[in-house]
Amino acid sequence: MKDRSLRSLSLFLLMGVFAPARGQSGGELHFCLHGEPKTFNPVLVDEEASENVRYLTGGVLIRLNRQSQALEPALATSWEISRDRRTITFHLRKDLHFSDGTPFSAEDVAYTMKLLMDPQTHSPTGDAFRSGEGSLEVRTPAADLVVITFPAPIAGLDRLFDQVAILSAHSPKKEMAVLGPFFVSDYKPGSYVLLARNPNYWKRDARGHALPYLDSVRLDIQRNRDIELLRFRRGELQLINRLDAEQFERLRHDNPAATRNAGTGLDAEEFWFNESPTAPLSEHKKAWFHMTEFRQAVSMAINRADLCRIVYGGYAKPAYGPVSPSNHFWFNSSLEDPKYDPKGALAMLKRAGFRYENEVLKDSSGNRVEFNLITNSGNAPREKMSVMIQQDLLQVGIKVNVVTLDFPSLIERMTRTLEYDACLLGLVNTDLDPDSQMTVWLSSGENHQWNPNQKTPATSWEAEIDKLMKEQASARTDKERKVKFDRVQQIVAEQQPFIYLINKDVLLAVSPALVGTAPVVLNPQAFWNAETLQLAAGTELGAHK
Amino acid sequence: MKPSKIVRMVSAGFLCTVFLAGLFAGGVARYSYATQFRELPNSTPSTAHYLGTDGLGRDLFARVLYGTRISLLLAPGAALLSTLIAGVFGALAGLVGGWCEKVILASADLCMALPLLFVLLALRALLPLDVDPAVSVVATFVLLGLLGWPSSLRVVWAASRNMRRSDFLLLANATGCPRWRILLRHVLPNLRAVTFAQFWISIPIFVLSEATLSMLGLGVMEPLPSWGNLLRGLEDFSVVSANPWRMCPLVVLVLVVISFQLVLPRQEEIA
Amino acid sequence: MLVFLSLLGGLLSATLVRFAPGYGVDERELDPRLSRASVESIRAANRLHSGLFSYYGRFLAGAVQGDFGSSRWLQRPISSLIRERFPVTLRSVLLGTLAAWAAALAGSLVVAFFPGFAFEISGTVLSSTLIALPTAVVAMFAVYLGAPVFAAIAVVIFPKLFRYLRNLFAHASAQPYILAAQARGTGQARILSHHVIPNIAPALFALLGVSLSMGFGAAIPIEALCDSPGIGQLAWQAALNRDLPLIMTVTLLVSVITVGANSLSDLADQGAW
Repeated sequence: MKDRSLRSLSLFLLMGVFAPARGQSGGELHFCLHGEPKTFNPVLVDEEASENVRYLTGGVLIRLNRQSQALEPALATSWEISRDRRTITFHLRKDLHFSDGTPFSAEDVAYTMKLLMDPQTHSPTGDAFRSGEGSLEVRTPAADLVVITFPAPIAGLDRLFDQVAILSAHSPKKEMAVLGPFFVSDYKPGSYVLLARNPNYWKRDARGHALPYLDSVRLDIQRNRDIELLRFRRGELQLINRLDAEQFERLRHDNPAATRNAGTGLDAEEFWFNESPTAPLSEHKKAWFHMTEFRQAVSMAINRADLCRIVYGGYAKPAYGPVSPSNHFWFNSSLEDPKYDPKGALAMLKRAGFRYENEVLKDSSGNRVEFNLITNSGNAPREKMSVMIQQDLLQVGIKVNVVTLDFPSLIERMTRTLEYDACLLGLVNTDLDPDSQMTVWLSSGENHQWNPNQKTPATSWEAEIDKLMKEQASARTDKERKVKFDRVQQIVAEQQPFIYLINKDVLLAVSPALVGTAPVVLNPQAFWNAETLQLAAGTELGAHK
Repeated sequence: MKPSKIVRMVSAGFLCTVFLAGLFAGGVARYSYATQFRELPNSTPSTAHYLGTDGLGRDLFARVLYGTRISLLLAPGAALLSTLIAGVFGALAGLVGGWCEKVILASADLCMALPLLFVLLALRALLPLDVDPAVSVVATFVLLGLLGWPSSLRVVWAASRNMRRSDFLLLANATGCPRWRILLRHVLPNLRAVTFAQFWISIPIFVLSEATLSMLGLGVMEPLPSWGNLLRGLEDFSVVSANPWRMCPLVVLVLVVISFQLVLPRQEEIA
Repeated sequence: MLVFLSLLGGLLSATLVRFAPGYGVDERELDPRLSRASVESIRAANRLHSGLFSYYGRFLAGAVQGDFGSSRWLQRPISSLIRERFPVTLRSVLLGTLAAWAAALAGSLVVAFFPGFAFEISGTVLSSTLIALPTAVVAMFAVYLGAPVFAAIAVVIFPKLFRYLRNLFAHASAQPYILAAQARGTGQARILSHHVIPNIAPALFALLGVSLSMGFGAAIPIEALCDSPGIGQLAWQAALNRDLPLIMTVTLLVSVITVGANSLSDLADQGAW
């Protein structure tokens, strides 16, 4: 006891001498959620606000380090995956307790997995494990050993456990008893969620101090981004997790030290043509959209560099495929970047049978090439991009009608009535592994947006993508999976079913009062290391203005 | 001349200038409203672009002119539609009275209680997609006209109700004048003043409604400009402070609406 | 009558939402991580399982007992949502109306006491300018300047109120007996308090009803744009999310208030006759 205190005292003195701008333990981190958390039950989480709360409160077996993009042991000290990739064995940490004192053991893991795989539970987290029919088998040979066997092999099995926060099987507090760095101490609906430090958190820092350093985290519910920025400037908030380009520029003018650009993000904006055979479109339109050369020409005619520069103020990069370059492992770097070449596009269209007369493009039957592009209202960058695309395509004689719809109407047209020509939307990628996007790439998938729910693949390249995706799901090593998915990316680049436009940069605002931040592109970008964040000395401890 | 008369003349003159400028926008503006000068987004006023450019590099002066044309030409159309509906039903309610009056007033109340923005949202989403932007503009204003009648109705109703109790109508009835004749010869001419006043007042209201609708992203289709569209550019404060001329559409809108109100001799507005 | 109209208003809104495009779809359907079964269950949950009338009937039966059902979008009982948010809106509207009345009364009294072209024209210009600002722009300025919601509501109500009041005062002051009183040498203040105000009192009362109704009408877009946690924002988000029970409840509430305010003014109007 004495030794330890002497050591910590000397360390403390050393800290005081050599490190002036040190954070202090304690204090309250204050930032905003952009929506109401719908649930605190980690098994049912399916939207951003509750995911953020789950990240801060949930204890997971394996943690994906957002910075290195590698897996780290968390509640599990080690794990093994069987050769058939159906079984995973975890060795758990001993002598851990939930936030309310209930002891942690393998039973809790079993309980959580059973709940997750219950057929009545419908959540993205649970569905990721449902690779095949059949039920789960969980064995707990010892208090610190769990063996989970799934009905079918799962690609990237270990990485999925980053989303599984362990619930207590016995605690009277049910899902409010947690193993993460914080727990929910107060919740005022519509207003805020208050998280307090979990005294029983297992993690310690390199010096053996208990984590987290912060006393509490206050999450205000604030949908309006402008008001959020205002509050940040006034010093009420210490970070903003995602800024848009205009706000970032605004902040950069007054307070450059507070702005951070974590680099190209994983999110993409893309648009696609409606290629569904049952869509209520005219025959000639269907003919155009099915033509690969048409799609390629349209893609070539769009000036992506301008989109990045004007709509995003330079805080975006042109995108040509579904995977962002910041996804280090999965990005196919051997693909060529298509150029912006309106003349080449026109030449391609002419070769495909279109005619260009008096600055108007007509198809071989004499129909004027014209289509509507729908996007959701209220999203200024998307609306701007639509108008720029409208202008770009006018250079090759194509007339585009831009229609902004409210989101439910848009979804209805996109998924039910199929009454649209082209749609511009964004893809939010929270997961690095493309296996989570099976329903997008499989031709029978719901989210195969250009032609969903096909009974049999409509084209040979879609059939090839189906085969490749199934193969990568059952491939034995990650290297094999990458080879297959690289080929999928290549096919997508050739066929352009989705015309990818840009990858946005991840822009954040971080107050200089917050020490230890290391913004990254993976969600949650600013506070992935919340447990080691500290408030700078000189900030009132426990301050909340 | 009386000062109020000077004010009215100035307002009328201003309105005429703006109206003509909008009408001959093609001649006055140097560039099209849709051409994007991508090297010069958000630029300040210069000899090439009198008011600067917007976020996509489009000439703001041209957009204000064309936007004026759209808003000023179509708002009166919408006002006409709504005043006609309000006029007919209001007169009916006021003159006939009884349950007819109750039903009409109740429907007006209901219409006012309905979430107007939602109705517009829904109707807009029902429109076919393959319409020209010009058609979408006309459709927006027709919708506004069809939904904007309740407030005018109450005014017309009050006036016609007063008329019902008035002496001259009593006299006309007593002398055995047939209903239709009373309507045509006595009622309508008297209501004309009220309905005209309502028409005139409605125009700026529809201009403003279209502006609000466009600010929510549900108005005129791109790339057509309208005042509402242009006002959306004001949402970004840093851009506005960099180029205060961006406030121009708002100033024009406010001046036009004020002028509309100043042109009419001041009238008692019945609640 | 009030009750019937409000109920009808609610039913109309429900019908509108039910048959408007975009009903029954959920953003969650687009999540590629969900399995087909999950997407189906989401769709089933969002579908209306009975006819609209029986749904409405059950809703009303519950409403009478104070249970307005659960919001699909926010996943919480609606009665608690309303209980939280209504006071916020009420406070903004009452404060805003109060502020608008204070300003309008002050303004019209000034114009009444100091008749002259300068005051008249400045009054007209000020009120015209404020009327000419679209509600969305007023809300936008409120956000820029960090002004509270009730200030925006006051700015929206003030010009119309000011004009009505000014006309009322002018009309009342032009009565012959006022002129007689002035000739007798009665002070302006006494004329105002003893002769003008008592006579226009019923009209003032009617105006109060109308201004409250205007305030509530303005509160909806202003709250939605300023992101204030009141009924207005709830109504707008509910419409965008096609949350049927929530929209019905909020429409019922707004109908009651609007129709009530109009009835109040009608009553006072009849009293004046």
